[in-house]
Amino acid sequence: MTVFHFLNCAFLTFGPHVVYYSATPLSEYDTIGTSVKAAAVYLGTALVKLVCLATLLKVPENDSFDPYQELMKVFIGFIDVAGLYFALTQLTHRNISQNHKFQAVGLGWAFADSVLHRLAPLWIGARGLEFTWEYIFQGLEANANLVMTLSLAALGSLMWLRKNKPKTLIPIIYACALLLATMPSITSSLVSLSYYSLGQTCSNMQLLEEVIGVADTKGGWLRALLLACYGFHQLAAVLGLSETDVTRHP
Amino acid sequence: MSPSGELLASISSALAVAFVLLACVELGDAATAVGVYRLIQYDLAGAPLGSRAAVINHHAAALPLPAGADLSRSALVAPLLDLPLSFLREYLVEKKHLGGLLILLPTNHGDKESADDKGKVKGVLTELEKLLVHEQVPYPVYFALHDDNFDNLLADIHKIASSGQPASATTGGYKLVVSSAEPRKVSSPTISNIQGWLPGLKGEGDSEQLPTIAIVANYDTFGAAPALSVGSDSNGSGVVALLEIARLFSRLYSNPKTRGKYNILFGLTSGGPYNYNGTSKWLRSFDQRVREGIDYAICLNSVGSWSNDLWMHVSKPPENPYIKQIFEEFSDVSKEMGVSVGIKHKKINVSNPRVAWEHEQFSRFRVTALTLSEMSTPPEFLESTGGLHDTRESTDVESVIRTVRLVSESLARHIYGLKERNIDVFAENSSLAINPHYVRSWLDLLSRTPRVAPFLQKNDPFIAALKKELSEHTTDVHVQSDALDGMFTFYDATKATLNVYQVASVTFDLLFLLVLGSYLIVLFCFLVITTRGVDDLINIFRRPPSRKLKGA
Repeated sequence: MTVFHFLNCAFLTFGPHVVYYSATPLSEYDTIGTSVKAAAVYLGTALVKLVCLATLLKVPENDSFDPYQELMKVFIGFIDVAGLYFALTQLTHRNISQNHKFQAVGLGWAFADSVLHRLAPLWIGARGLEFTWEYIFQGLEANANLVMTLSLAALGSLMWLRKNKPKTLIPIIYACALLLATMPSITSSLVSLSYYSLGQTCSNMQLLEEVIGVADTKGGWLRALLLACYGFHQLAAVLGLSETDVTRHP
Repeated sequence: MSPSGELLASISSALAVAFVLLACVELGDAATAVGVYRLIQYDLAGAPLGSRAAVINHHAAALPLPAGADLSRSALVAPLLDLPLSFLREYLVEKKHLGGLLILLPTNHGDKESADDKGKVKGVLTELEKLLVHEQVPYPVYFALHDDNFDNLLADIHKIASSGQPASATTGGYKLVVSSAEPRKVSSPTISNIQGWLPGLKGEGDSEQLPTIAIVANYDTFGAAPALSVGSDSNGSGVVALLEIARLFSRLYSNPKTRGKYNILFGLTSGGPYNYNGTSKWLRSFDQRVREGIDYAICLNSVGSWSNDLWMHVSKPPENPYIKQIFEEFSDVSKEMGVSVGIKHKKINVSNPRVAWEHEQFSRFRVTALTLSEMSTPPEFLESTGGLHDTRESTDVESVIRTVRLVSESLARHIYGLKERNIDVFAENSSLAINPHYVRSWLDLLSRTPRVAPFLQKNDPFIAALKKELSEHTTDVHVQSDALDGMFTFYDATKATLNVYQVASVTFDLLFLLVLGSYLIVLFCFLVITTRGVDDLINIFRRPPSRKLKGA
């Protein structure tokens, strides 16, 4: 029965990726190669990030907010963005349109993220007899992560692949990108300063900005929808945060 | 094979091993893990008795049970005082099956408990033990100490049960898992008897052997839960009394000027609950001359919780001059102490294998012997042998000290011929005073050590400790090991770990699968509609148009 639970959670975590691939025109154009390459780039990025984190960050002795450490985390967050840039622009893709390219890259990226971060805990934990909601939350987070990665890839393709960007939107786009990269640090610092609700509204504002930023581009209403679902990711983050809070204070 | 092929083969085999290992990963992730103690499992002359199973893997149920509940697939968790014995008896008599039984023993709350609370608990425990030990119980029975975790567990089970359905695979709840190995027979259980001598002073003119006085106590126990059978009163108190008497007399005998003209033999015997099997074997191992040299033997059994009355049990009639003399000595000392010693006579029946007191084994070898005990009636078979209620709280140091004083003073008067003289040999504040700290520390140690004989090997550290202690006070210490009487066979697996898991029901999983399936289908349709258009979605489900029209 517990293997049943494991299979359920695995479907929840990895199912949407497969469904996305098969439902959208991605499967028609056979863009699996792009996705695989994106996954490989994600792996490399994760390794580089790990090495940097291990070298540069110190284990915090107390829970106080250390600006230096947060700054380091932000810089390391940019490695993520750099990896995505690499995957979008530097890799040779077959002749696929912009629209499909960013989707394929985002999909591969998100799938690799899910597998690396969520498969091992799922395998070890969900097969036990004890029932917890943790793995279901993890699955929901994987879904939200997919949405967020797709939106990130959309943003990236906007920034780097389109040669003619509307002038007025350029600063907004870059601001969104910056905010996106530093979002985790901002939310954690706001939480630690117990301005929790403020952190929430901040993310909502960012979401709004992004929606405005991409809504008027051609064929970009899909992108707008994706970015609008960004809130889903924040919801998952909230769930994740509340879970850890609950478990940290027995 | 080419090198790349070899490399590939080794990599694939390594991967295969890794997969197999991954499949076996099973980490302990229970909500609670508690140590539990199993009911004893033994065969008596071939008849199986006690709990015959060890593994529990069932849902938990609690009292009061919902009407018509089928308990054959649940494990019942019940605190001791809430478990009605009639219910248990009915289950046993009607041979109804239980998935498992977990009895929670009340932990003492110190002074909060009144005397009659303790009495009630003791009564219930004795009855329960009597019931379970003499019956064949086909399901596993475990004992655990009642604490807060179990309180929460019971409250939760009640909450689930009050919703109307008993816990089972479809309604979720708690699952109790005890994974222990199949209980196997204890191969060749041994009983080890420890003896030590204090040789007396042989004068130049004496050519014969000095007479011997023996002091004996059995140190092993038997109870419903062998891992909890510490037998504080039966017979930890006797062992401690013997050790203290040995200590006192070794001080007297260390100086040749105060050495008496008697040898003193100290014996710590095993196999007590099994008709004093060990004592019999020990006596048989003696040389006949040594045995005939024993003037009389004092056996100590349960001397830890009396205040005013001690009983002297004999098998020879009280009119016998030897018995009369010994009884008078005891009476004199007891009168001075302000307590009373009564005499009880029980004839031994040689054809009856039941041996209720240790002195009866001596009597069968024609050695005069008596047993000093707080019990006035002989105990039944496998009763008062250190059961569940016999913990440190049921014994007190003062009683043991009183016993030591009684025995040692009478013995000293006998050995040194001090009758009619007003001398207190072991007076307070003298160098021969009885040491309460010694008594207390040994009593505490004995109350922490379960001592069921078949589970004590020859080289058990406890036996070694007793031997070492005895050799500090006596000489010529010897451990005699023998096999336990063939009538008894014991099975191991006395302790295990209980894991309590909170499980979700199968319906929950199915529901979740349903929701998940519909979510994925909706997602699929949504994505097809937004990226390819509604027509595409419909086209997936339409059969491809037949070519027949074209071909015709």
